Amino acid sequence: MTALAQTALPASLERIRQAFEARNYPDDALTAWRRAALERFLARGFPTQRDERWKYTNLRRLESRAFTPADSAAVARTTAHELSGVTHRIVFVDGHCMPSLSNQAAQPPGVTVISLGQWIKRDPNAVAALLTEVGIDTESPFENLNAAFLEDGVVIDVAPNTVWDEPVYVVHEWQTSGRMAQPRIIVRLGEHSRCTLIEHYVGGEDTESFTNAVVTISAAAGANMRHYRLQQESAKGFHLSTVRTRIARDARYSSHEIALGASLGRSDVAALLEGPGADAKLRGLFTPAATQHLDNYTRIEHIAAHTTSEEEYRGIADGRGRGVFNGKVKVHPDAQKTDARQLSRNLLLSPTAEIDTKPELEIYANDVKCSHGATTGQLDATALFYLRSRGLDANQARMLLIRAFAESILETIEPQGLRAALEAWLSTRFGGTEVSA
Amino acid sequence: MLKVTDLHVRVEDKQILNGLDLEVRPGEVHAIMGPNGSGKSTLVQVMAGREGYEVTRGSVTFNGKDLLSMPAEERAREGVFLAFQYPVEIPGVNNVYLLKAALNAIRKHRGEAEVDAFEFLALVREKMKLMQMDESFLNRGVNEGFSGGEKKRNEILQMAVLEPSLALLDETDSGLDIDALRVVANGVNSLRRADRSIVMVTHYQRLLDYIEPDHVHVLSGGRILKSGDKSLALELEKRGYDWIKQAAA
Repeated sequence: MTALAQTALPASLERIRQAFEARNYPDDALTAWRRAALERFLARGFPTQRDERWKYTNLRRLESRAFTPADSAAVARTTAHELSGVTHRIVFVDGHCMPSLSNQAAQPPGVTVISLGQWIKRDPNAVAALLTEVGIDTESPFENLNAAFLEDGVVIDVAPNTVWDEPVYVVHEWQTSGRMAQPRIIVRLGEHSRCTLIEHYVGGEDTESFTNAVVTISAAAGANMRHYRLQQESAKGFHLSTVRTRIARDARYSSHEIALGASLGRSDVAALLEGPGADAKLRGLFTPAATQHLDNYTRIEHIAAHTTSEEEYRGIADGRGRGVFNGKVKVHPDAQKTDARQLSRNLLLSPTAEIDTKPELEIYANDVKCSHGATTGQLDATALFYLRSRGLDANQARMLLIRAFAESILETIEPQGLRAALEAWLSTRFGGTEVSA
Repeated sequence: MLKVTDLHVRVEDKQILNGLDLEVRPGEVHAIMGPNGSGKSTLVQVMAGREGYEVTRGSVTFNGKDLLSMPAEERAREGVFLAFQYPVEIPGVNNVYLLKAALNAIRKHRGEAEVDAFEFLALVREKMKLMQMDESFLNRGVNEGFSGGEKKRNEILQMAVLEPSLALLDETDSGLDIDALRVVANGVNSLRRADRSIVMVTHYQRLLDYIEPDHVHVLSGGRILKSGDKSLALELEKRGYDWIKQAAA
C-alpha cells in the first residue's frame, strides 16, 4: 500500500487518490474494504482500447476531468419523478439518498428495501460484511472504483416465495456539476420469489457529472427478476454502469438497458446462468445522436446445462452519434443443451452516424444451439414512400418507421408507466409532430 | 380529371417514358398494357410521386392542378391512390393504425374532422368483409407475413377505406390465383363510381375479363402506340405486341 502511494501516479489517478483521501472515511472495516478496492483500481488504472472489452470506447475525456463526490445533496429544486403506476420510489440526488423526496409505500412482508447510506451510518461493519459476502469482480476497474467511493445505494431483499410485482423505482438525479456518484444496488431474491426493479438516471440540464453505478443481483432457484435501466443523463454527463446477475436453477432474469442520454455512456451487463433451467433475456435500446457515444457490453455465461438466453439490442444512431454493441456468449464445457440466441439490429439515420457491432461466441460444449445475427441499415426508402403514398407526411412516416424499429424492445417493457414515458420521449426526439391516429 | 401531356421520364441515365399522352375522364377505367420494360410501372410510380424519377419534359395535371409539383403525401390527400405491385411489409406498424392515420391525413386536408373511432371501425369491418379478409389482419403489422394474395387484397382494402378519386393499380393481378383475382376484381368493381377513375397497369389480358376497361392503351418504348376499347386487349392476347410495334415503326 505504502509502496504504491510512493510511486508517482498518472494525473488522472492521482486525482482519484486525492479525492479518496479527502473523503476522510472513518477507520472501520468498510473503509478497509474501500481502500483495498481503491488500490486495485489505481494499480490497473482506467481501461484502454487495447483491452478488447473497451475496443470501441476511449475514456480519455473522462480521465481528464476532476470529478469529486458531493458531500450531501444540494437540493436546489425538486423534480417530481412520477412514473405512472409506480408508487414505490427512492430518490437520489447527487449520489445521496433523499428520504424526503422518496415515497416508500408499505413494504409487504418478506420484502426489505434499505438505503445503503443510512445503513452505513448505523452499522458500517455490518455493511462491510454484506459487501464482502456479495463480492465484487476484483478485475473490473469500475466495480473497484465504485467500491472505493461507496457511500450510498439500495439493498433489496426478497424472502423466498414472496411475489412482489410493484416495481421498486430508484431515481438518480444530478443537480450539481463536477460531481461523481458511485451508487450501488444489491438485490437478493430468495427461492421462487419475484420482483421488478426500475433504475432511472436523470441528468440536470447541462450538468457535467459522472455516474458509475454497480448493480449486483442474485436470483435463487426459481426466482424471477425483471430489471429495467433507463439512462437519461445530461448531454455533458458520463455514465458507466455494471450489472452482474447470478441466476440459479430455474430462475429467470430479464433486463432492459435503455440508453438515451449522456455524452459518454457505457453499459456492462453480465448474466451468469449457474443452474439448469436458468434463463436470461437481455434487451437494449440505445440512441446515440449529436456527438454522443453509447457503448453496450454484454456477457452471458452458460455455466450449467439446459440453460437458455435470448438477447436483442437495437441501436438508432443520428447526427455524429456513435453506438457500440459488443455481446459475448460463453458456453462452458458442462453447459450441454444450451440454447442461446443473440440479435443486434441497428438503424443509421445520418451518413455520419456509426454503430459498431461485435458478437462473440465462445463455445466449449458440443450439444448446443447458438445463433447470432447482426444488421445495420437505414430507413427503408420504399417503406417511407409507401406510407407517404397513403397520405402520411414525411416526418410522420419517418417517426412511424423509427417507432416500428424500436417496437420489439418497447413491447417487452411491462411497467406501463415506463413504456409510456419512453414512447413519449421517442415521439419528441424523432417525431417533431405527434402522429394522430 | 387526369391529363398527361408529352411526359418524358428518366431514371438515372435511362430514358423510360418518351412523350406519353393520356387523358382520363371521371368514371373511366383505363387499362395500360405492354411488354416488360415498356414503362408501365414507371408511369404510375411517377404519378404517385415516387422519388428517383426525373421528369425531363411534359406535364401531369390532376383536376387542373400540377400533380408533379406535389410531394407524394399531398397527391394522396388530393385523392390519388397507388396500389403497389409489391406492397411493402412494415413490421411494427399495425394495419389499423396506418389506415386510420391515412384516413385522418386525407380528412384533415379536406378540412374535415378526424374520424370517429366507432364509425371508423364499422367502416373498416364493412370493407374487410367485401375483401374477404379476417379481422385478425387489422392488428398485424402492415403486410407482415401476408401471402401475395393477402397483400393485394390489403391494397384494395386501403383503397376502399380511403376512397380516392383516382386509383392507380400497378399489376394488381400479378401473382394472384383465380380465386384471389376474383376477390380483388370484385373489390375494385364495387368501387367504380361516376366520379372515380381507375388506371390499371397489367401484363395480362386476364385481368380485363374481371375488370372491364373503357379504354385500352398499348405502351411500348415509353409511348402509347395504340389505343382502343376492350377488343384491343383481346387482339393483343391473340397476336402479341409485335404487330403494333411494326405498325408504329
